[in-house]
Amino acid sequence: MLKHRVIPCVLLKDWQLVKSIGFKSFRTIGHPTSTARIYNARNVDELIVLDIDASLNNKAINVEIITDIANECFMPLTIGGGIKTIDDIYKVLNAGADKISLNSQPLENFGFLKEASSLFGSQCIVCSIDVKKTGGQYKVFNKKKGVLDIHPLTLAQEYQKHGAGEILLTSVEAEGSCNGYDIELMKFFKNKLHIPIILNGGMGCPNDAVTAIENGADAVAAAYIFHFSRWTPKDIKLALAENNIPIRLGA
Amino acid sequence: MQFCNKCVMPNTKPDLHFDENHICDACRTQSNKNLDIDWTQREQEFLSLVKKYKSKNDYDCIVGVSGGKDSTYQVLKVLEMSLNPLCVCFEPTIPTKIGRKNLENLNNLGVDLIHIKRNPIVYKKLAKEAFKRTGDNEWQHHLGIFTIVPKFAVKFNIPLIIWGESPQMEYGGPASSKERHTLDRQWLEEFGGLLGNRISDMVGVDGLTSHDLSLYNYESDENIHKVGVTGLFLGYYFKWDLREILKKSKEHGFSVADKPVETTYENFENLDCYSNHVHDFLKYVKYGFGRATDNVCLDIRLGYITREEGVRLVNKYDGIPPKKAIQEYLNYTGFSEDDFFKIVYSYTNKRIFKRNDNGEFLKDIDGSLIRKDEYIVR
Amino acid sequence: MSILSGNKVVIIDYQMGNLRSVYKSFKKNNCEATISNDPYIIKNANKIVLPGVGSFKDGMKNLINLGLVEVLNQEVIQNKKPFLGICLGMQLIACKGYENGESPGLSWVNADIVKFDFEKNYRNLKIPHVGWNSVEHVNHNNLFKNINNKSDFYFVHSYHFKTNEDVVTSITNHGINFVSSIQKDNIYAFQFHPEKSQDFGLEIIKNFIQC
Repeated sequence: MLKHRVIPCVLLKDWQLVKSIGFKSFRTIGHPTSTARIYNARNVDELIVLDIDASLNNKAINVEIITDIANECFMPLTIGGGIKTIDDIYKVLNAGADKISLNSQPLENFGFLKEASSLFGSQCIVCSIDVKKTGGQYKVFNKKKGVLDIHPLTLAQEYQKHGAGEILLTSVEAEGSCNGYDIELMKFFKNKLHIPIILNGGMGCPNDAVTAIENGADAVAAAYIFHFSRWTPKDIKLALAENNIPIRLGA
Repeated sequence: MQFCNKCVMPNTKPDLHFDENHICDACRTQSNKNLDIDWTQREQEFLSLVKKYKSKNDYDCIVGVSGGKDSTYQVLKVLEMSLNPLCVCFEPTIPTKIGRKNLENLNNLGVDLIHIKRNPIVYKKLAKEAFKRTGDNEWQHHLGIFTIVPKFAVKFNIPLIIWGESPQMEYGGPASSKERHTLDRQWLEEFGGLLGNRISDMVGVDGLTSHDLSLYNYESDENIHKVGVTGLFLGYYFKWDLREILKKSKEHGFSVADKPVETTYENFENLDCYSNHVHDFLKYVKYGFGRATDNVCLDIRLGYITREEGVRLVNKYDGIPPKKAIQEYLNYTGFSEDDFFKIVYSYTNKRIFKRNDNGEFLKDIDGSLIRKDEYIVR
Repeated sequence: MSILSGNKVVIIDYQMGNLRSVYKSFKKNNCEATISNDPYIIKNANKIVLPGVGSFKDGMKNLINLGLVEVLNQEVIQNKKPFLGICLGMQLIACKGYENGESPGLSWVNADIVKFDFEKNYRNLKIPHVGWNSVEHVNHNNLFKNINNKSDFYFVHSYHFKTNEDVVTSITNHGINFVSSIQKDNIYAFQFHPEKSQDFGLEIIKNFIQC
């Protein structure tokens, strides 16, 4: 049976891998090559790397580093950040990514998503949705435009309709907090989409992953916990297995 | 790449921030150190904290030592305060003669010293894999120090660990804070610098079992709390000036090298281990600054040299591959020179250093990498 | 080309991606494979790999336009060179694909490529089938040497291989039990991605190199 997945999700900034806290401050995780090698050795299920220099600061996509990271990965690699055109997608896939993650572009243009999906296949396209809670309501957050008056589930359903293969759902407030995932947010999505959902932001201990999956997440993403706490991806997986959640435990 | 306008540290250093005047936060902290801090008061604080731990047991505190100038100074300070320390040394990766001599000297200051000669077969396997996987050939040594000292603290029932320099200027150590009082596992993860790799991730490497690696397992939270293992950073309570420290250590028998140590212009640091010089070389290729830059920045901040002199020293000494240390490292690990450099280049910074059309890094006659113009400090 | 071992592996580039990771997985096994769509190079290779992700229709179209169908038939069917099909590369050896209408495949195995359909049953299951899933051995496959039964491999696909021919070597469950690998003489094909399945995946590549 299909297993749930544990996926480190890290940011690329200034040619280093970093982790953000609430999208505001950053803490260095390490050199891209060593981080990729370590994750590969740790048998994580996938790796997501988002280039925030490209997405926030409009710098060119860092193909060199993406290639270096891809060279170390014998598990699926998703690359995102600053992908705006079909050409960008080619660039990133040719550099070695298996999947690409889109954030701002499909928000402005569903047609782009549809085109990308039909060219490359929906299994290759992850749509990333960042969420903030304002006035008790969940709203989509975009780093450039701020809080938008759209419910993240509505947006995800549009993305699904236009060919997204997966949704990466990130709670801005929870990110880097280690206080647990935003389960209330996750509950909105349970059984509402037929494409997989990767929940991101806030994992503080293995039990958080259990709760996330029990509430509808297909996969859990995290990074802070793997670098600045005692917990390893294996600890997360063992906790899931103990709770009878199908998970790959490796060789 | 930007360089601090005061010292010469580049912004490629992880977690270093520059203000609007391009001054790095280490320089700003140093200015605070000079102006704002009442060192007498800090010393009093230290003495009153330490009084709690003065023990009817065998030892008042535990100190991790290498025999270097810093640990010599730490021991001297601790003895001055009439504390009886247990010193613990985790054997360096590739010990040098002068390093051994300095460790003897430290022992002769009049302290009990446990010199841990860990299983060399296991250690070498860890060392080789750590180098390949993390790009830090001393990863296993950092891990060793951070786990051994608390382990012995538990085994000998010594709650207080005295560390040297504070990783953050504002931080005295868990013993001084009201929350997060103990040096538990979480503390290690915050400060250990383990790059995301854990000892459990090394099981299976070259046949290593978890039993082989038991020395490197952190003590359980239960044991840590039972003994109440905690720590203080001397560098928070006493002004940490490397040349003052050197002077004092030398007065008490510490020996320096008779010429500058490889990778820098100084002759008094990193004397105990060849592998450390390789570590500094790796730092240089990854981030574009090495030990010479570190030394220059400290000297500038402490007022011993001008920035202009610092720039000259960095351009002269930083980045020269430590030939002797590399040879020792190859002899120790059994890596061929080709394999060694293949790994080094997989970590080398493509932004900073020049490459030819085939993507190979260009080198100078002394073997140093060549920096692109915009990455040379001026 | 890995001259010492006598292996000349060609990874077919028919513009359906997935080339680098497959190349890397061979390289990790000390085999320098060649990425090409030159019929001359394919003729001179002694092992052929057909990777790929994306649509069946586009895949076949590209194979035809690049003039690769004849040389593949000749080298794999007539000359019986070891062939490894991965993901789309497995699906293309079937007779028919049903993505965006019907299209013919290479017809090396009597099979159809159909979409997962969870309208009636298993409605909570997701399409595409993406993630790690168990591969249950049902028949011998040379490339399963040293691979534990029911090990997890990485899948990412919306269509699956349906056949009655006695070539099925493993099944995997996603609502239904679908075919995850086949072996027909010199033809080996896997729905999952060995090049993305870490240790066991690399073992499969190694077994192919050594077969």
